Amino acid sequence: MNTVLALWIRGLKAFIRNRTGLIFSLIFPFFFVYVFGAIFKNDFIENPIAYMLSGVIITTVFESSLNLASSTVDDMVSGFMKEVLVSPAKRIAVAMGQLLSAATVATIQGILILIIGLFIGIKFTTWTTPIFILFAMVFVGLAFSGVGLFLATIVRSGQTFQIVKTAITMPLTFVSGAYIPISMLPDALKYVAYINPMTYATAFFRMVVLEKTNLSTAELVKQGLAIDINGFIVTPIMSFAIIVAIGLLFLILATNSFVKTDFSRVNRSSSDASALWG
Amino acid sequence: MNSIIEVKNFTKKYGDFTAVNDISFNVEEGTLFAFLGPNGAGKSTTINTLCTIFEKTSGTLIIDGKDVSTQKSEVRSTIGVVFQDSTLDTKMTIDENLKMHCVFYNIPQKEVEERIQFVLNLVDLLGERKKLVGALSGGMKRRVEIARGLIHYPKVLFLDEPTTGLDPQTRAHIWEYIVKLQKERNITIFLTTHYMEEAEICNKIAIMDGGIIVAHDTPYNLKKEYTKDKAYITTENGPELEQLLTQYELKYIKKDGYYKVDAENISPLLQVLSLQKEAITDIEIKKGTFNDVFLEITGKKIREES
Repeated sequence: MNTVLALWIRGLKAFIRNRTGLIFSLIFPFFFVYVFGAIFKNDFIENPIAYMLSGVIITTVFESSLNLASSTVDDMVSGFMKEVLVSPAKRIAVAMGQLLSAATVATIQGILILIIGLFIGIKFTTWTTPIFILFAMVFVGLAFSGVGLFLATIVRSGQTFQIVKTAITMPLTFVSGAYIPISMLPDALKYVAYINPMTYATAFFRMVVLEKTNLSTAELVKQGLAIDINGFIVTPIMSFAIIVAIGLLFLILATNSFVKTDFSRVNRSSSDASALWG
Repeated sequence: MNSIIEVKNFTKKYGDFTAVNDISFNVEEGTLFAFLGPNGAGKSTTINTLCTIFEKTSGTLIIDGKDVSTQKSEVRSTIGVVFQDSTLDTKMTIDENLKMHCVFYNIPQKEVEERIQFVLNLVDLLGERKKLVGALSGGMKRRVEIARGLIHYPKVLFLDEPTTGLDPQTRAHIWEYIVKLQKERNITIFLTTHYMEEAEICNKIAIMDGGIIVAHDTPYNLKKEYTKDKAYITTENGPELEQLLTQYELKYIKKDGYYKVDAENISPLLQVLSLQKEAITDIEIKKGTFNDVFLEITGKKIREES
């Protein structure tokens, strides 16, 4: 437990110390809100700023928690994970500490954007909404921290990892409905959206933020809060279940893989892209 | 003396390749033990297996009575490791690095401060403890690592090339700390190094080549066995010297301007020298170096690279 706490604090400290990163992680979302909010000023979205903000917040949580992959790879490259490896610390505790700190940092970043969002368009009518939002952020943060940690354990070389990570996360956020409503995507990309876990995280989170819990299914689909896969409607509750399932799956996979990983394997001088994944 | 490290018939294979082939050796408690060998000789594999990172293929490896393969956690608490490459958390301060280490090694909270002061004092870094590790010089980082490796009071400290890449002054300092540690705390130190003169300070040396231990003895014995003192003689009368050397059965090699003569046997050499004292203009006797030992045993020059 001590190890979990110490690593959790370490993650938070690293987050607070990286001021430049923090500032950019706040500027970037508002840039998206501004650009896409202007583009989608149309009739089927009643509050485009709040609509965009909810997408941007969950995207930030998603990207921030996935960043655990990069920071864990950094820890392998810098050798810190090797220090962990030869210590008697339980590896499962190390994995837990890393996951919790990443999820916490992701949630904090989400909250920061949400707070600014409150001044420019998000409005709550009940006090339960912020609580649900917080829970949703923590769940999404944990789920994707699991994905991040799992990615880190299967990576071979730190050098090209960043590029690959960006190449994966960028499309996933763009075809998740967070910025562009899925109904506006070309058919081929719609199918990508259907298998994209972020789609469901976005739909569920947006419903919570916009307080659309009372809408009929047809209305939800119309507003892009429920996903219509060729007639099969994925309701926000189902979306939530999907996120929890994916989260659990990856938390188990990541922890299991983390316990077995040989951290000394990541070659810090290797620039061979083909050796990246193994 | 007690053997704190016992390795019996240790073999490590990677597929068809045998990195370490059936080696056995012991390290006595409280000694400074050096592991030498050319790159790829199997010394890293051995040290990594002893540190519980690699799995052995066969054999037994025991540290302080605990089996390296089956009692990993106990072994890890017993050993301190300083790797060739830094394993510090560069985004954190020296203090935070040491505290994190204490958490990993379950050091009681009330002892942490005292221990941090003790180890930092040992490596002269007490005044720098609030500095970020990323901002330190290479030598300071190495000192932090040595301090960190000691904070849980290990019985055995593994140092994988502790001075590679450091300037001579820093190297000398690091060695001061190492020798001080071994003497004052009676810690067993197991190290690998590329620097031959460093190996000479150790109590025992094992030389590995091609996955086996080719020599295992004290530096003194190794030198005695594998090196010969040489006399470098410059003379105005070469043919006469050659004739005398042959007569007294002294081996020699004629070099450009001087003769390199076997100086193991000092009395016939003195005879020759006294007979030729008019002609000889210069003489220098060179002791065998540890580099010669290494070359003699492995036939390869050790390379100074990491």
